[in-house]
Amino acid sequence: MTKKYRVSADIGGTFTDIVYQDVSTGRCGATKVLSTPDNPALAVLKGIDEVLGEDGELAFFVHGTTVGLNALLTRRGSKVALVTNENFRDIYTIQGNDRGEIFSIQWNKPEPLTALEHTYTVGGRLAADGAELSPVRLSDLDALVTACARENYEAIAVSLLFSFNNPAHEQAVGAYLKERLPDVQIVLSHQVSPEWREFEHTSTTVTDAYLAPVVRKYIATLQREMGDRLPEDGTLHVMESNGGVMTAATASETPLQTLLSGPVGGAIGGKALSAATGRGNLICVDMGGTSFDASLVIDGLPSTSNEAKLEGLPIQMSVVDIHVIGAGGGSIAWTEAGALRVGPQSAGSKPGPVCYGLGGTEPVVSDANLVLGRLDGANFSGGEMTLDRDAAADALALLGQGFGMNAEDMAQGVIDIVNAKMADAIRTITIQRGIDPRDFSLVAFGGAGPAQAAALAEELEIGEVIIPVHPGAFSAWGMLQTDVRHDFKETLYSFWDQIEVATIEEAFERLAEKGRSFLSDEGIGGDRIGFERAIDFRYYGQEYVLTIPLPDGPIDMDAVRADFDAAYERQYGHSSPENRVEMANIRLAALGRLDRPDNAPPERAEARPARERPVWFAGTPKPTAIIDRNSIAEGDSVHGPAIIEEVTSTTLLPPGWTARLIDGGHMTLTKEAMA
Amino acid sequence: MTTADPITTEVVRNFVISCAEDMNASLWRSAHSAIIYEGKDSAVALMDENGNMLGQSTGVPLFIGAIDVCVRHVKAYYEDDIHEGDVFIMNDSYMQGTHLHDVTAIGPIFHEGDLVGFGAARAHWNDIGAMDPGSTMSSTNIYQEGLRLGPTRIVSRGKPVREWYDHLKLNTRLEGATIGDLGAQIAAIRTGERRLGQLLSKIGADTYRAACQNIFEQARQLDREAIAAIQDGTWSREGYLDNDGVGTDPVKVALTLTVKGEELIVDLTGTSGPVAGSVNCGASQTESLLRLAYKTMISPERAITGGSFETMSVILPDECMFNAGEPAACEWYFTGLGLLADLFISCLSEAMPERSTAAHYGDSMVVGFFSVDPKRGQWISIEPTAGGWGGRADSDGESALINLVNGGFRNIPAEVMETKFPVRLEEFAMRPDSAGPGRNRGGLGVIRRYRMLEDCYGAIWFERSRTPAWGLNGGGEGKGPEVSITFPDGEAETPLKMRARALPAGTVVETKTGGGGGNGNPMERAFDKVARDVRRGLVSREAAKADYGVVIADDGTVDMAASVAR
Repeated sequence: MTKKYRVSADIGGTFTDIVYQDVSTGRCGATKVLSTPDNPALAVLKGIDEVLGEDGELAFFVHGTTVGLNALLTRRGSKVALVTNENFRDIYTIQGNDRGEIFSIQWNKPEPLTALEHTYTVGGRLAADGAELSPVRLSDLDALVTACARENYEAIAVSLLFSFNNPAHEQAVGAYLKERLPDVQIVLSHQVSPEWREFEHTSTTVTDAYLAPVVRKYIATLQREMGDRLPEDGTLHVMESNGGVMTAATASETPLQTLLSGPVGGAIGGKALSAATGRGNLICVDMGGTSFDASLVIDGLPSTSNEAKLEGLPIQMSVVDIHVIGAGGGSIAWTEAGALRVGPQSAGSKPGPVCYGLGGTEPVVSDANLVLGRLDGANFSGGEMTLDRDAAADALALLGQGFGMNAEDMAQGVIDIVNAKMADAIRTITIQRGIDPRDFSLVAFGGAGPAQAAALAEELEIGEVIIPVHPGAFSAWGMLQTDVRHDFKETLYSFWDQIEVATIEEAFERLAEKGRSFLSDEGIGGDRIGFERAIDFRYYGQEYVLTIPLPDGPIDMDAVRADFDAAYERQYGHSSPENRVEMANIRLAALGRLDRPDNAPPERAEARPARERPVWFAGTPKPTAIIDRNSIAEGDSVHGPAIIEEVTSTTLLPPGWTARLIDGGHMTLTKEAMA
Repeated sequence: MTTADPITTEVVRNFVISCAEDMNASLWRSAHSAIIYEGKDSAVALMDENGNMLGQSTGVPLFIGAIDVCVRHVKAYYEDDIHEGDVFIMNDSYMQGTHLHDVTAIGPIFHEGDLVGFGAARAHWNDIGAMDPGSTMSSTNIYQEGLRLGPTRIVSRGKPVREWYDHLKLNTRLEGATIGDLGAQIAAIRTGERRLGQLLSKIGADTYRAACQNIFEQARQLDREAIAAIQDGTWSREGYLDNDGVGTDPVKVALTLTVKGEELIVDLTGTSGPVAGSVNCGASQTESLLRLAYKTMISPERAITGGSFETMSVILPDECMFNAGEPAACEWYFTGLGLLADLFISCLSEAMPERSTAAHYGDSMVVGFFSVDPKRGQWISIEPTAGGWGGRADSDGESALINLVNGGFRNIPAEVMETKFPVRLEEFAMRPDSAGPGRNRGGLGVIRRYRMLEDCYGAIWFERSRTPAWGLNGGGEGKGPEVSITFPDGEAETPLKMRARALPAGTVVETKTGGGGGNGNPMERAFDKVARDVRRGLVSREAAKADYGVVIADDGTVDMAASVAR
């Protein structure tokens, strides 16, 4: 009999993580395979075949990708031409003209994703209300059409003034370019970000264009290659930056929404973990091959925001708040002006760390961990790979020559630097916001996270570390805990005391209808559809809005108004119930509940005979027990020093630390003196 | 005595900074006027119970030294008569140093009945009842500049003082916005009160105070070390303002800077005495500017706390435009300060060649449009304009960046301006050939062109045409500012300063801001950098040849043979 599984894949730059859940038992398993960046589906299929065999059937498949994020962080997106209004060529380069560091006279603006020489202008202008002042002069675009062959533009971002009120000019530009440049991706700002502020919507549009060819090619390839391995209805799901999931068809239309597709799985996993373990406040850190992502769960909910900034450039999009820095297991150690630096460049999986023997020559963080005995070279990735410690040690020794350091000292230095960088990233989102990290548990995951977690917790004086089930694939696990979500908005501007309830109800119904149609296209039926409604309000004369959620059922105008005053009071410490209130936008999230069984803890395995190997702590090798995580029973403790191994990751338990298995198979680490 | 361990101290140090950032976010998000929520013409601070600065967040870096002084004025005036829930406001130019538009709100913060600190929020009020709507340009004494307030209790134990609110409403042309902005300032103080309360209920007031002392001591120590590391010496520089705003004579600004051991002495002897126009500045704001200039050169990355700046002393003559007393007009107090900062930075550039930075475009370059017709509704759009910054020892100056005494000011987007006001922005672009040439060139100024869609008023304040941004180490000076106004009948004028006057619908105002000075000999600038500037339209082919000796061929490549070798 064939078994049915819900499957998720977190496709990273170095590894592809697969989590599969048996639909009948709710039990999850995980595996990790090397990514195949040229054709990501190969890794996914290999992983699925390996764990489900030929007979296992997919009932649901979702994946998260960092292909867009990596392209942005490493500045390897597509070559973009920008089209702006005549006389506004420079808006994307000028930016907001505020100084990022106001006490510095040496500060530079963030480097734009496309330069001035690739910006083209078009005549024609709309007024603030969308009325046409002068018609769009399409012949101006011929300069771009001609240049395109020479410059090899892969995408064109079109961002014209007031397109959010009247898209006609952008549409005309789009059609003109499409006809003449059928192979170039055209991205129009009113589709990507129908919000005012020209620099911000231009930046959002350019970023979408920068990523679009990369993301679309990636999704098309994945869909084609997965072929009949996909669930019966052929649907491929993708994680969205807002924490929901969408179908591949939707993702291809909105590539920007995939930007935080990979990391967001960890934040959603954090939310599920918070509910499962009864811990309200979590710092979730994901250290993979290329990047280190930190996010917060406060009182059980991931922290979110309406605008993201990546590399200093604004993106108008609703996102789960994630702080990303370039530090990971694949971060390359290098020297500059007599100083040792680590990252942000990553070796990825090709050529990969020196120890993988795939052609890498520059030592990375994983090489350092191997040299210090923290990884098992003979039994890496569940025995899938053999790592070459000698090669890693030689590379580190070579790098160390300039500093008069041996391979082990050099390895410790690399680890110390990367730990300090990660601790700083956590300080940015906690201490710098006045939040004391000591009030939180540190959830560490990603392939490289559990090896660094204890040291990181010590640096930040955090008392408890949680290593969740399948830590190396935790983002993928999180992806199985979420629902389909589509966000819609419409500008509906009025004084609250002048608008009819019926007008608002009708507007929401229009959005709900869109939501229903999206969801039903995705095979989600009536009883599994839900909506969350909200309205943006401000006092008359103000600019910024507060988003006020509405309860289900008919709208009670007075109650909503009172909710706004109360929310304003909470946010700012004062309110003005006597002032008139304006509504600006209505927002509706259409949620499609997905069937999922309850999570069951992983199966236990018999303990294998005792093993140990020397592991370096504070510069000296210590005999250290090697333990299989799946041999630890719930409630049992392990005392450090120990190495706790599992398929997707390796946890380092330093001397003085204790590991315990708790409810649901998650594991806590505490330091004895602090416990 | 209670002590604070290094971790707690670091948590408190980061807390006060982030608390101030939260207070400012709260101010920006609930303010009614675009000059605050878009222009960020505001500052907030969290201080200890004696008014020592702990954390601050500011859109206007010039406010770094002049908020704490307000707490001292409030304490001196009200003594023990300060209670939980009180809020005080003040704006007097001679007490707090700035113009009357800057209204500072100050609130005491109590914890378990004890005074533990003060929160303050300063914001620019668009109309404070001066002789002209918005900013007056022709005042010659402070009584023409609007309502003048010493420390004034506006909220008493949480209750608004009605007669003072009414008094404010009666003295502004923009009643709703004014009261709304005051509400936003109070909100910022309440945010600070709430956040500090959360921290204190965790660590207690005594540990908090001990941590604050550690923070002050760390700042003192770091400052002393930084000044000691600079080579000793004395340097002098001078420059001229175009005029004082009402007359036509240039106004001299002179500065002598001495570094001696752990001490830095600034002497403004030689600077013009008080002037008839409104470019006079109160002493506390002059000191604030010098602190800002100091900060740009010495550890700009570190936060400013109560222990900072004790290494600097200022010699300020009694009769000096930067030491204003009654009845000197102060509306444009910051105009001279931009020049003063450039002089200071040029002096220190000689002592610290690795941080050498040429002069920037220099002033706020303010453009305002407004209407006061009650039948058609009142509105004011006022904004400073970005320009070019000075070339540095190792890189070009940044282009289109707001001037030094500002900082967090953002340009008003065309889409916001045109939605809210009957003004169309017809062009916003870099100004070609405005940068001072140099091995590292200056940054570029900008062009902004506005068209009036209805009859309204306009006012302009541009500066630094007599002393444009100068270069260093052989670099050339940036272009100065230019303004042109074309009326519907075709008449054109080019005033750099213009007092509020009627602009009929159809009038076009074009402003061009200056570029930054260059650093190093332009004949040493690499060919490919010059070629790239030409390709991007930032430098013309003519200027490439004249200023850099580089001949660019029709295809955009460098004609090596025809160019000056390097």
